[in-house]
Amino acid sequence: MKEVDPNFESVARAHAGDLFRFAFWLTRDRQQAEDVVQEALLRGWRSYRGLREPGAAKAWLFSIVRNEFYRTISANARHAGHVDVADLEIADERPPAFGLEIRDALKTLPQTYAEPLALQVLGGFSCAEIAEMLETTEGAVMTRLTRARQTLKRLVSAPGARWSGGGLP
Amino acid sequence: MTCLDFRRLLLTGEPESALMRAHRQQCPACEAHAVEHALFERELGLGLSVPVPLGFEERLLDRLTVQGAPAQALPNPGRRRMLVVAATTVVTAGLGGMMWYRRDDPLAMDCIQFVMKEEAKSIMMGAMPRAEAVKALAEVVPLQRIEQIGQILHIGPCPFNGITAYHVVMSVMQEKITLLVMPGLMVSARKRAGHDGLHARVVPLRNGSVGMVGSNAGLLDNLAGVLRSQST
Repeated sequence: MKEVDPNFESVARAHAGDLFRFAFWLTRDRQQAEDVVQEALLRGWRSYRGLREPGAAKAWLFSIVRNEFYRTISANARHAGHVDVADLEIADERPPAFGLEIRDALKTLPQTYAEPLALQVLGGFSCAEIAEMLETTEGAVMTRLTRARQTLKRLVSAPGARWSGGGLP
Repeated sequence: MTCLDFRRLLLTGEPESALMRAHRQQCPACEAHAVEHALFERELGLGLSVPVPLGFEERLLDRLTVQGAPAQALPNPGRRRMLVVAATTVVTAGLGGMMWYRRDDPLAMDCIQFVMKEEAKSIMMGAMPRAEAVKALAEVVPLQRIEQIGQILHIGPCPFNGITAYHVVMSVMQEKITLLVMPGLMVSARKRAGHDGLHARVVPLRNGSVGMVGSNAGLLDNLAGVLRSQST
């Protein structure tokens, strides 16, 4: 057996759940999400000592998970033909007792919207931080987040909808 | 700031700015929209919080120990056996203690069920005037004290567990928290529960108790401490 750096272990434990959830919304598959997080943490551990700011560990781990996901997708695409990230379907076989409506809506959300939304809601990152992680501008992130929420609200809106919001006064 | 600007900024999910707050406070329609949006955000958080597979953390750490860092010398078999027995004992005791500590209290669980099933309906029933709220909550926790810990988005009476409780939706450090102020419902000690991404704490206060529900357990523990310290 090999010992895990206690600092890295505590960081990994603290964020394991959210990393899994983030990976899930990238892969839309529970087993793949688990594999992606495992690979990402393995890579993370090997380079953890090189991390200059321990306070940035969370953003760093989310970035590694994201990179690992895109690395896996690109490897799969090479071996099994092109895989369109936006076409990935959810394989969550366990319907939740609550949030079902919105979770169903989330399943149909394009990847370009789901990714910043998951980073903001699950990771608690600001638009500026997300922009840095996605290598885009803050304005582009704000646009994607706005469209993500508009899409979700529209999707869960039935007649007499809860979240339709009504017109402006 | 116009209503359109306010609602556009809400959709970005960024924290409320001073300008937004000022607009909301003088525009009842946007105030109502913000309450509804806060509930949407809560459902969004729950929707994204897919359940983590059982034993996930342990599998992660096992994998790290097997494939991670350079190997270290293994201890001899006798010592290893002793270590295994000791580790098993510690883990068993720890799990037992943790299960006892984390057991779900029925009242705290009812608070979660309220948020999951009744909260939206309760908000639709309408809010109560501030003066009435001040009077209704006074015997358990003064409204001003609740206002000190966050921004109140909604407050109104609701039937809960056979009594009339007061349902408070608030924003605390960008988190949406629901309080159920329960006059006359006395509990002996702090209660807790967790279910489907939500956590609940019930805090005993002078002439009743307050249930708190949110998705951030640490924040709830802090708020429980604040409410308790303010009541003593």
